[in-house]
Amino acid sequence: MTAAGEVLRVENLRKRFGKEEVLKGISFKVDRGEVKVIMGPSGAGKSTLLKCIDLLIPPDEGSIWLEGVELTSPGINVNQYRRKIGFVFQEFNLFHHLTAIGNVMLGLTKVRKLPKNEARELAEEALLRVHIGRDLWDKYPAQLSGGQKQRVAIARALAMEPSIMLYDEPTSALDPQLTGEVLQVIKELAESGMTSVIVTHEVGFALEVADELMIMFDGEIIERGNPSEVIYSPESDSAKVFFKKVLRLGGVGR
Amino acid sequence: MSFWGDFLTRLSAGTLTTLELLSITIPLSIILGILIGVLRVYGGRLGSALANFYVFIFRGFPLLVTMMIMFFGLADVGIMLEPFWAASAAIILCSSAYQSEYVKTAILSIGKGQSLAARALGMNRFQEIAYVIMPQALRTALPGITNEILYMILYSSLAYVIGVSEIFASAMTMNSIWVRPGEIFGTIALVYLSMTTTASTVFKEIENRLRIPGFEGAR
Repeated sequence: MTAAGEVLRVENLRKRFGKEEVLKGISFKVDRGEVKVIMGPSGAGKSTLLKCIDLLIPPDEGSIWLEGVELTSPGINVNQYRRKIGFVFQEFNLFHHLTAIGNVMLGLTKVRKLPKNEARELAEEALLRVHIGRDLWDKYPAQLSGGQKQRVAIARALAMEPSIMLYDEPTSALDPQLTGEVLQVIKELAESGMTSVIVTHEVGFALEVADELMIMFDGEIIERGNPSEVIYSPESDSAKVFFKKVLRLGGVGR
Repeated sequence: MSFWGDFLTRLSAGTLTTLELLSITIPLSIILGILIGVLRVYGGRLGSALANFYVFIFRGFPLLVTMMIMFFGLADVGIMLEPFWAASAAIILCSSAYQSEYVKTAILSIGKGQSLAARALGMNRFQEIAYVIMPQALRTALPGITNEILYMILYSSLAYVIGVSEIFASAMTMNSIWVRPGEIFGTIALVYLSMTTTASTVFKEIENRLRIPGFEGAR
């Protein structure tokens, strides 16, 4: 795989829960080093979309390609490819029974089958990258703040050396004063060239990091493009209403 | 021989047999209970149906009846087990059914997010269960498992009815010779009490050692 080029391609992705169609044929692609931000009201299907990409929720229709491999083709060993997709959850989902460094090491020793000392080195590196200092390495999740937990979760995904990172509302479960430290880390990673898809409600952050902003509404991408254009002069009525609300709440109006 | 000399000889032999019985039944019923508990949750349609049936049967029969079946019932169809092994089998079957209930409940109490995070890392189902779910579920299940072990200590006395010379049997023999039930049954009550106390102390200690700061089991 060359440095440039496509990392992820999603084609006509559809998902239905019972009667309700949550994803109505989503298509987009992400190039290496690109940062895509997805915004939209809750219930629009953003989280389902990310989980479908990682096949944590099986899509009903459509295809997903990661670095030229179709993950949705029958008979494929999904686990082998999932480790190349870093997933960051809204509610962190750190393993409660393991320390911060234990959380980061588990995937390395069990999935990547690295020897312990090598796993530890990689885990330390990943933790330092998200600014989790040595003093916190042996703390259990319950002893960490929300912001620290989420950064450990990012390190856990990062240590697997993924081709792409997916962030599912990474700061929605955090107090406002803890949001900044997490967004800062995500931004640093993005700037260092980490290919990312980020679902967020943080308008200011989206403006700063997004190469492209996509707006989801009712299971569809209704608008996409340059973030400031999409945010400040959206074309569709639904997007206009959404941003009017978000900007008023967030106080990032012009 | 004096009463106490006779009692001491018989009681220590009986205690030894009870301890042998428990040293086999406790570990095996825990292991089997964990396997069946896991099967009930993750076994798919067939696996969980079989495991649920197992629990339905062995939690539904009185231990005493299972013991009779293991000894006399199996003998009828040509399978002769010695009393000790028939009793062991009955206790293991019955207790593992109960143990599996604690294990199943504990697994179900682990939040869905833990499983999602494991799978997002690329773990397969086995790795997810072995490295993420069970280490948490077993901590949650431990108080229940301990409780069941205390029952096993007490119910091991039922082995008397199929002729295992355990503590209770030694007391019955003593009483038929000396007819001093107050002293005899009072003493073995204290022996059982000391065994349950030891077990609960040991398991409390294990619980403490495995305790994780802030982790109260269910998410």
